[in-house]
Amino acid sequence: MALKLLPLYLSEFRKRRKKTTLITFAIAWGTLSILLLMSFGRGLSTQFGISFRGLGDNLVMLAGGQSSVIYQGLPKGRRLRLYAADVDLLRAGIPEIQHICVESYNNEAISANGKETNRNVHGVGPLFDLMRTQVPEAGGRFLDADDELHSRRVAFLGWKVAENLFGAVPAVGRQIVINRTPFTVVGVLKQKMQDSMYQGPDAEQVYIPFATYALINSQPYVDRIHIQPVSRETALLVESRARAVLGRKYRFDPGDKYALNVWNTIKDAAEVGKIFKGIEVFLTLIGALTLLVAAVGVTNLMYALVKERTREIGVKLALGARRRHIVAQFVLETAFIFLKGTLWGALLAYDIVALVRTIPLNYDNFGIESYLTRPVFSLDIFLLFLALMGTLIFMAGIFPAMRASRLNPVEALRYE
Amino acid sequence: MITCRAITKVFAMGTAKLEALRGVDIAIEAGEFISIMGPSGSGKSTLMNIIGCLDTPTAGTYLLDGREVAGMTFDQLAEARNRKIGFVFQNFNLLPYASAYENIELPMLFNGKSARQRRQRVEELLAQVGLADWRRHRPSELSGGQQQRIAIARALANDPPVILADEPTGNLDSASGEEIMALFNGLWRQGRTLVMVTHDPKIAAHSQRTVKLLDGRVVA
Repeated sequence: MALKLLPLYLSEFRKRRKKTTLITFAIAWGTLSILLLMSFGRGLSTQFGISFRGLGDNLVMLAGGQSSVIYQGLPKGRRLRLYAADVDLLRAGIPEIQHICVESYNNEAISANGKETNRNVHGVGPLFDLMRTQVPEAGGRFLDADDELHSRRVAFLGWKVAENLFGAVPAVGRQIVINRTPFTVVGVLKQKMQDSMYQGPDAEQVYIPFATYALINSQPYVDRIHIQPVSRETALLVESRARAVLGRKYRFDPGDKYALNVWNTIKDAAEVGKIFKGIEVFLTLIGALTLLVAAVGVTNLMYALVKERTREIGVKLALGARRRHIVAQFVLETAFIFLKGTLWGALLAYDIVALVRTIPLNYDNFGIESYLTRPVFSLDIFLLFLALMGTLIFMAGIFPAMRASRLNPVEALRYE
Repeated sequence: MITCRAITKVFAMGTAKLEALRGVDIAIEAGEFISIMGPSGSGKSTLMNIIGCLDTPTAGTYLLDGREVAGMTFDQLAEARNRKIGFVFQNFNLLPYASAYENIELPMLFNGKSARQRRQRVEELLAQVGLADWRRHRPSELSGGQQQRIAIARALANDPPVILADEPTGNLDSASGEEIMALFNGLWRQGRTLVMVTHDPKIAAHSQRTVKLLDGRVVA
């Protein structure tokens, strides 16, 4: 029955379009505000994740330390070092290890193209690229297992090193000299966001195979051992097992925090991630409250619309309109205004997000802008918003509609 | 057709009570044309509202076409208004945003008539009130007399047995008023029951008999 009235509703709505413009605008504005708040909140935590992974993806990094307690008759204050052989020991003792790799570094003189500079040169094992997010620029590659096996004299450069030595000329295939030994550049690190580091940003580093590094550098121990656990959940377990395994070998108390330096990025990421998630939730909450205020405004406007149409409702009641005919009309109108406003607001929010995302990132200096210029407009955000807004607007529409339908026809007809 | 027995209507105005009707008895046969007269506050509008099923009496019985109206629900009253009664108001009460055609169509939409039935009936009624060329015009583009004729066409849309007219010529010049009365006379001759409220004895003279109200009671 109400279906037959649809053309009537539509034609009345079309003719009264101008009167609903303000409401449509209010809804569009509310939509825009909350979607932008949510998108920027999400962008913030996403960017944090990206820049954190710039150091590495799910890493537990081990480095030697100094014992701080007397253990098995050994004094405290002993310097403890890690060695390449520990890799096999750890792998054998900890089944939760997925990847493991060594790293050593030293500041070396590098020359190429008639220029000379001092940089940290890192000897790294295979899979280092996977664990420490070393993505090569197009046309190059990272060091591989063959390079390691044959102790090849090949190097992978941070993009700033490449820029420094070769300028705009492609570095791949060119020669550089490290500590009087010639190396061939096989790849250059692609620009990335990185908010955590231990020897400066990766952009400033030079990487060569660990086996080759051992040939030009006589340091017997290694500086770091990187472990990637099979899952985030096993990060703490891997950490404590590594302390136990190495404690047995080097005879230190596994509970001695200073004997082994452990940087558990998974633990850090989880903690900082909570802060950013908190900010996102907070922004969403602000948006939701804003929306609530908007909904109150819309309810008010809808009441005004109903009041203005009191006489018209009276006429319809006199002509035999049932309650549901009146309710259906107002609910449908509210729904339609809601859809229209939401559509405009969402389109605008989408465009603004897309526009902001085109702002280039400054990879030399990650300021606050690198977190704020990458808002994320995702489907789940939009669906959450729709559910929220839909509920509010429905409530904003249903009460005025109910009121309209409860009007006394006699009084409604008399309304001026 | 219409039987009112001991109808009273009491309005509560805060703590005070206003007795608008105090035991009104009226019987209107099918096919009768009666006018209701009385000064302001005599209760004639209240009586019209009750006869028109827009309101229910506080006490007494009202039989419309043999059915008791007193116990009807909101939607049952709506149905009675839709099928049994056609309203003609002093101020026309056309929907301002709707065309003449759409205004006439309205009662049939609430009645669930098919699009074809509606179109046929609207055309018929437009011709009957002589405004076939004005179907697309909105009320604001029509003269008072034309608006009232559209309102009469609307009242006839569902072919109700009873037409209730509340001061139908009150807002019209005398020429237009005469035209409207001519239309009413035509409807009466077709066998419809007409009940009309008016101040004007000349207009009341068109009816078969006049009921006079004073202070909520029938006096003649």
